[in-house]
Amino acid sequence: MSFLRILAVSFFVTLLINVGLIDTGTLVEAQESPSLSELEERAFKQAVALAEPSIVRIQTVGGLDRVGQILTSTGPTTGLVLTSDGYIISSAFNFISKPASVLVEFADGRRFPAEVVATDRSRMLTLLKIEAENLQPAQAVPVDQIVVGQWGIAAGRTYSPEVPNVSIGIVSALNRVWGKAIQTDAKVSPVNYGGPLINIEGKVMGVLVPLSASANTETAGVEWYDSGIGFAIPLEDVYEILDRLKSGEDLHPGLMGVTFRRNDLTEGEMVIDMVRPDSPAYRAGMRPGDTLVSVDDIPLTRVGHLRYALGTHYAGDVVPVTFSKGDQKTETTMTLVQTLIPYESGFLGILPQRAENSAPKTGVHVRYVYTESAAESAGIKKDDRIVAFQGEPVTDYESLWKLISRERPENKVSVTFERGALKETVKLKLTATTEEIPLDLLDEFIPPPPADEVNENLPTGFTTIPMEAHNHEYWAYIPADYNPAYEYGLIVWIHPGGDTMEASIAQDWQRFCDRRGIIMIGPKAAKINSWNLNEAEFVKDSVLDIQSRYNIDSQRVGLHGYASGGSFALHLAFKYRDVFRAAAVAAAPITEAPPENDPEYRFQAYLTCGDEDAVLPKVDATQKIFEARKFPSVFQIIKGRGHTYPLSTTLEEMAIWFDTLDRI
Amino acid sequence: MNWVSARLPHQTLCCLLAGVVSLSCATANADDSQAALSAIQSRMVKIFGAGGLRNLYSYSTGFLASPDGHIVTVWSHVLDQDRVTVILANGRKETAVVLGAEPQLDLAVLKIEREGLQLPYFDLEKHTSGVPGTRVLAFSNMFKVATGDEPLSILHGVIAAKTKLTARRGAYEVPYDGPVYIIDAITNNPGAGGGLVTNVKGELLAMIGKELRNNESNTWINYAMPISELTPVIKQIMTGDYVSQETKPDAEDNPLRYQPLDFGLLMIPDVVFRTPAYIEVVDANSLAEELKLKQGDLILFVNDTLVQSCRELRQEFGRLEAGDDLLLTIRRGDQLMTVEARVPRKVTEE
Repeated sequence: MSFLRILAVSFFVTLLINVGLIDTGTLVEAQESPSLSELEERAFKQAVALAEPSIVRIQTVGGLDRVGQILTSTGPTTGLVLTSDGYIISSAFNFISKPASVLVEFADGRRFPAEVVATDRSRMLTLLKIEAENLQPAQAVPVDQIVVGQWGIAAGRTYSPEVPNVSIGIVSALNRVWGKAIQTDAKVSPVNYGGPLINIEGKVMGVLVPLSASANTETAGVEWYDSGIGFAIPLEDVYEILDRLKSGEDLHPGLMGVTFRRNDLTEGEMVIDMVRPDSPAYRAGMRPGDTLVSVDDIPLTRVGHLRYALGTHYAGDVVPVTFSKGDQKTETTMTLVQTLIPYESGFLGILPQRAENSAPKTGVHVRYVYTESAAESAGIKKDDRIVAFQGEPVTDYESLWKLISRERPENKVSVTFERGALKETVKLKLTATTEEIPLDLLDEFIPPPPADEVNENLPTGFTTIPMEAHNHEYWAYIPADYNPAYEYGLIVWIHPGGDTMEASIAQDWQRFCDRRGIIMIGPKAAKINSWNLNEAEFVKDSVLDIQSRYNIDSQRVGLHGYASGGSFALHLAFKYRDVFRAAAVAAAPITEAPPENDPEYRFQAYLTCGDEDAVLPKVDATQKIFEARKFPSVFQIIKGRGHTYPLSTTLEEMAIWFDTLDRI
Repeated sequence: MNWVSARLPHQTLCCLLAGVVSLSCATANADDSQAALSAIQSRMVKIFGAGGLRNLYSYSTGFLASPDGHIVTVWSHVLDQDRVTVILANGRKETAVVLGAEPQLDLAVLKIEREGLQLPYFDLEKHTSGVPGTRVLAFSNMFKVATGDEPLSILHGVIAAKTKLTARRGAYEVPYDGPVYIIDAITNNPGAGGGLVTNVKGELLAMIGKELRNNESNTWINYAMPISELTPVIKQIMTGDYVSQETKPDAEDNPLRYQPLDFGLLMIPDVVFRTPAYIEVVDANSLAEELKLKQGDLILFVNDTLVQSCRELRQEFGRLEAGDDLLLTIRRGDQLMTVEARVPRKVTEE
């Protein structure tokens, strides 16, 4: 038969088949060829069978029944053999209960006690060791051979010791969660955490774990179980860190210590906003205003890129970094760390005398020496003049603060001071900032201005100052003897919702302002019954306004508030860190997480609350947060008081504390 | 067919077949599978009841097991009233009564009231089984999406595992203690109970169960009960021979027949929820001493059941009976050891 005729007949037959006139059943049965579906099913089962000898079942005994809010599960979990002599990897999730005993079981019934060797807290994996031999290590697929869209079979040994449970899916994406994981749509859940993600050839692409892009605890990401998103750490990457884990040392994500202006991961500019003192970034030479160019040879154009560049690195890793200061580019390396220690300034133990503006800058005169301070034990006394610190000359308060703020508590330093004709250099050990308030502190006397220099246009006493730009106004109190040759402190009173308390504040604070050289202002909320967050700018502008009219010491600008006004005051303090140096609040807990302590933005707090006040626990929690962040803070609990504005004894202490804001 | 082979020479026929088969595989599969699916759909029903408490859904799925209108479904609150409404595949509405049920199997059999129907049905004797990895299709009226004569919803997936839900005591609150298939697809949705799981060839595998949560991991699972487990009881209910089983003897809660002290073991004080079962003291002249157990040993398995705490050890010992084999697997330092004994008759003190 001619070829063309065969073709024609084939076409005709196919047509008939499609129309249904020929029963294809007989034709197909005659060949007995399996459908594509059956072939795939066969492939799934064979792939699992190939990987199966490396999959183990893990049982735990004892341990916590609850970790945080999560009830820890006690069912069997899964692990993968990495070496023939018994190193086994599993998900860190399986061990959050900190079990007393861990057992590893094989399909043939063999059981081994296991030791937990180390945990990788970045990739959320735990390494175990059993005493065994001739085990079959899982074969890893090279990462560059994994393709999006290919089959991915998730296997576990939770349900049956003999037959692995499976879930079939595909590889959905690569390099997820900051470069750490393969993403799959196979169902990943506690029934297979720690088990393998197998390819259709029976080799292992990764180890299944719960992961979250935004949190880093063992249970982060578990809520995504069975939802179409599952993660697996590439097995090739696990083999690369195996030696480090074998040494028994836990691995932690590595930090470098920089923040950017906005936390937006899609932000375009890599301009550094803050560098943590003593951090890897600081040690590498980075400073605020520098531009981060690349990390680990990955060019950075968005903040998200940095997370990605650091995502697969651990604390202790030495990572190349390039940054630029203007035109100058620096290429260097930095060693990442596990935790960034909060910044804390060392404390010498003195109060400076506040000089007249025109006084010569010849060092810092000591106004007061704190008891049991480093200064006291070194023999520094009132009226001494500090002229050098660590060999560097000290001309005034600012220069001394700049030098001391670089030192941490416990650092040993040298201080040079003059007493009359005597000049002495002492060595001392700085301490942490004291919480003591020197109640016997005499106020600094500010002489009234010479009669011919009094400015008639500058009001004193109580006055109201309009703010045209905000269509609003604030009241102000300026001591009657205001002398522009001296710097005054500034207290911004933030009233609670519902009551401006203008009259009572005026009555309580007038004498403190007069005695301690303090100017006080009281911006009012547009709606008296509560402050609106948008009014923050109005308050800040009021401060700038009064600073433009009167001579105010930028080191002693603080907020004072009660109840909701106090909470708003704390919010303002952290929103405008360049403006406010302190906050003294009563019965006012914080409403948001404060930023990190920073020597550029010195901040101190005075918290007070009655012991019968219902908000006491929250104020206590606020104090603990400040302590953790190392903000110098004082916490006064008043016995026998409920939710009321403090009495004048407390206010007097507050005023003295305010007077000591420039302690150093 | 004969006229083809008669008209064409042998070699050509082979070429033809080869070419045609590869072309037709896809189309044949499509046709075959469409036919298989229609066949299954025609034997499925949608069930609507008055429901239990107010907020619970009141619909489920079922499949026909006889030409007279016997329907197999899950035992649930949907069947609380005596009569339920059943909608056949062709959209016809019928009423059905609950003929019989076995709550231990989560099983119920309904009978359509109207007589003389000749409905398409499944021969339940013709079922098959599967293993992890077997591809499956699941038919159900989940979320009551299908109305009237619309075909039911079909899901695809694989069998994830075959296991007994009661293997982990307390993990699942379900009376059924036989084997189930865990399905790698979200099959157990509201209304899906009583639906059917088949393999890709359309052969019967299992009945979809109810919505169920694992109490330990707080995760939902998708399970189905094998037809093979249900068929004997279904047949008995259909012929009227069925008597609901009495509760089994060891379904009694927490018997305390034996305690650690009975074997000469004093365990460490049980202070936290999961105090591991460490041995504190071994009594002289006791069974424990004979077995060479020592202070500090950790009891891990009692007869192949893992004991994760002193509490569980007491529960396992509590279930023992005189004459039972007793296999204890313990951990001593880095080693695992197994000791064997027979549970002695209890000596009553008098």
